[in-house]
Amino acid sequence: MTATCAFFLRRENLLSLVEELAETLEVVAPVRVEGVATFATWRGEALALDGDNLLASPLEFFLPQKEVLFRYVQYSGRYTFSEDAPRARLILGMRPCDLQALKVIDGIFGSEIPDRPYAGRRMSTIIVALNCTSPGEGCFCRSMGSGPGAEEGYDLLLTDLGRGYLVEAGSPVGVYILRAHQRHFEEADPGDFREKVRLLALTGEEMIKRGPSLNPEEIREAIDGTDWKEAGRRCLACGGCSLVCPVCHCFSVIDRGVPDGERLRCRDSCILSGFSRMTSGANPRATLGERLRHWYLDKFVYIPEKTGLFGCVGCGRCSRVCLGEVDRWSPFKEATE
Amino acid sequence: MEKIATICVYCGCGCGLFLHVEDGRIVGASPSPAHPVSRGRLCIKGWLAADFVHHPDRLKTPLVRKGGRMVRGSWDEALSLTARRLKEIREESGPDALAVLTSAKGTNEENYLLAKLARAALKTNNVDHVARLCHAPSVAGLGFALGSGAMTNPIRSLLSSDAILVTGSNTTEQHPLVAAHILEAQSRGATLIVVDPRRTQMADLADIHLSPRLGTDVAWTNGILNLIIELGLADEVFIRERTRGFSALKELVTRYSPEAAERIAGIPSGDLEKAAVAFGEAARAAVVYAMGTTQHSCGTDNVLALANLVLATGNVGRDGTGIYPLRGHQNVQGACDMGALPNVYSGYQKVEDPAVRSKMKEAWGTDLPSAPGLTAVEIMGAAEEGRIRGIYISGENPMMSYPDRQGVKRALSSLEFLAVADIFPTETTALADVVLPVASFAEKDGTFTSTERRVQRLRRAVSPPGEARPEVEVAADLLSRLGIDADYPTPEDVMAEISSVTPSYGGISRRRLGISGLHWPCPNREHPGTEILHRDSFPMGRANFFPVVHQELDADPEYPLLLTTGRSLFHFHTGTMTRRTHLLDRELSRPTVDINLEDATALGVRRGSRVVVESREESLEIEADVSEVVPKGMVFIPFHFSEAPANQLTAKNLDPKSKIPDFKRTPVRIRRADP
Repeated sequence: MTATCAFFLRRENLLSLVEELAETLEVVAPVRVEGVATFATWRGEALALDGDNLLASPLEFFLPQKEVLFRYVQYSGRYTFSEDAPRARLILGMRPCDLQALKVIDGIFGSEIPDRPYAGRRMSTIIVALNCTSPGEGCFCRSMGSGPGAEEGYDLLLTDLGRGYLVEAGSPVGVYILRAHQRHFEEADPGDFREKVRLLALTGEEMIKRGPSLNPEEIREAIDGTDWKEAGRRCLACGGCSLVCPVCHCFSVIDRGVPDGERLRCRDSCILSGFSRMTSGANPRATLGERLRHWYLDKFVYIPEKTGLFGCVGCGRCSRVCLGEVDRWSPFKEATE
Repeated sequence: MEKIATICVYCGCGCGLFLHVEDGRIVGASPSPAHPVSRGRLCIKGWLAADFVHHPDRLKTPLVRKGGRMVRGSWDEALSLTARRLKEIREESGPDALAVLTSAKGTNEENYLLAKLARAALKTNNVDHVARLCHAPSVAGLGFALGSGAMTNPIRSLLSSDAILVTGSNTTEQHPLVAAHILEAQSRGATLIVVDPRRTQMADLADIHLSPRLGTDVAWTNGILNLIIELGLADEVFIRERTRGFSALKELVTRYSPEAAERIAGIPSGDLEKAAVAFGEAARAAVVYAMGTTQHSCGTDNVLALANLVLATGNVGRDGTGIYPLRGHQNVQGACDMGALPNVYSGYQKVEDPAVRSKMKEAWGTDLPSAPGLTAVEIMGAAEEGRIRGIYISGENPMMSYPDRQGVKRALSSLEFLAVADIFPTETTALADVVLPVASFAEKDGTFTSTERRVQRLRRAVSPPGEARPEVEVAADLLSRLGIDADYPTPEDVMAEISSVTPSYGGISRRRLGISGLHWPCPNREHPGTEILHRDSFPMGRANFFPVVHQELDADPEYPLLLTTGRSLFHFHTGTMTRRTHLLDRELSRPTVDINLEDATALGVRRGSRVVVESREESLEIEADVSEVVPKGMVFIPFHFSEAPANQLTAKNLDPKSKIPDFKRTPVRIRRADP
């Protein structure tokens, strides 16, 4: 991508820029809570941009684990409804894999009749992405074509060049921010761009060196040949793989409170039997093995059919969080080797 | 959005998690990657740990019974009534007409103050809690054998084991994070031996699964020990240098030859030998157990037999070895540590010891009763007989969790005064004269002590609903109203008092509890905590072998099936929280009785049939589930469901040594329900 608007930001200027942004917006950024880097509202603390991508993905700022769709109040037999307006937010430090995941979600929640709460949050959120130069052990974004560098979908994109960041605008909002806060920036020189390309190439190579690459087409082919019964024996049904996945978006809706109350949308998981069980008690995916198979099929068959994009971005979170201590991609690594 | 680092409220694993808070509401949760137990993982209950917190059913105002109806009252009204009625009963009938049941869901600080309320303010040692129904045999059995009833090693230690024997524990469902450690050890090459009558997931994943007949734990444990001794796999150096009483044990276990063990326990002698060799040959072996071991009328004997096994093989005091009683509530260890037991003050200091009593008397500035009090189930019995007339219950739901539900109902209904503090209305609050709305785990500060003796910080993420208050404030308020000085501006001040009177907590203070907490014993501010107990010596010098014999319980021809009660993965205890968690209740929304295919066929019962389960006590109607998990002759009912309260069927058969009821073996019969 040719940078029509790009600057260099000295390391020491990042915090003062964030401070200025936080005067008008809620800034969400990786900060340390009890020693753990996690996305939270920035309150002046040090930023935790280095290191592995965060276990809790930033998807929750677009699709919260639990959200109030609306509140209902009954009065004299009539119901009135109210909903909250989305808040203006800036998310700093979103990695390319999570950016790609958002693109997939856009294809599901943002197409045809857009999902209102999602679209509202999406439109009121500014994304400052961070190119990945420190992939985690289980990351394979390069194989999935979603990293380590971001191509699109951001308002601003940071690349850590060591002494500071190359900052590129990817949208009019991004350009506006660069202009409005110009005093923090310096001119970027051509060497900065070359350095960015070099660093991302290095990162990509490192990911390839680390292990067998996973090819999405081959994974799709291998799903049918996998022994799902055996895979299901070791699944402890925690649902973690779908709760951390930045692409998993399934939900259930419940009303809490009679006669007044709230309609809630809660993250759900196809690993749970109740997700596919019908009222009669019959379950088309009755065993854990079958439900695991569905989890992969959704990512490599159903979501691509709907959106044209793979439902896996290679962030590796599912293996990090697996309670059964299973590398979720090992069956395919063997198959694609 | 804020992320608050805190501790899960469910089982004893004590997982570290973040609560995600926006605009004063919890909108999500995620595991802490830095926490030593959760390591970035949680079970499904953990992921949904805070789901119930904003449920509209939460108790929000104090309720007072007036003219047979519960009406809203102020805190002042509710607490002054509570204090006045408790005082009146004490004056009329003496202090032992009162009792306090504390909560394993409460913090250490709350449990300490409630135990103090019983002893210092009400002047009775009638204080107990749910540990009586789970690990009283461990406190008694391991206390005798090793000098401490707690887990000897941290959970992490299992990663270094070469053989792990899991018995009476449905680990993947009840302690999923412990199971994750065990499975990781197995992947690294450890042999996993699971002894369980049921073919649980843990049993399915085991290298060796032994399925004994219910109630024969002593027999097969002695059988394994006999084989280990015969094969020369006992650790003679350890036995000689660190234990006493081995020769009597050695002689006794010869009665449990593989053939005898097979005859009694129904385990094929070849399988028993395989298990004995795997356990005996392992350089580092561990024993993990839970309710399937303890909830028997021979619960203490079962624990003693397992203790004999680890001692005879020298598997104590090193990384990768040890005995792991898995505790079922996130703070049941802490509630025991805090002296919410009828015979001990905090840190297991005996109430009968005059030196201890005089120390506590000085600390609390008042006279204290010297005789041990009644245990939980005995308290119910005494209430039924009219000897106990007033009870304060904190967050327990005996109507669902205690044996003999009808008896509990008679007991609680016959009380002159019952105060219950809880977060939701329960079957027990329905019988109360005063209901006190208290803060849930997400709404208060304090400390929890997990199953591995890890004292950890609980952090307030949101405010309690309505007028609900943290129970530490309620307990302090009641103490003051009953004339005991209780100036505790924060839970930290309570912890300061706890550490000043409790040697094993001497070095614990909020400020020292980082992400990993501290393992007690931690006697002083410089002490790093103790991960592994009994490294060089036991509290009483040498460990004790205590030979135990199998006692055959008579079969009841009229009630040919044996009922075991327990929990499921998706619900917790009496369901107060999980049944209000949408995804969990959807996963398992109604009770069933699990029946083996053969028994079901004989009874003419299919999956989904309505059946009547009858015991000598009572009967209940429930849906049948035909399953290969339970063996022939055994049936299983979880006790989460008020629609079919399993404890309607159980009896008050107590283990004489620890007073735990026999939840795991109730003779029943089953017939199809009339259409």
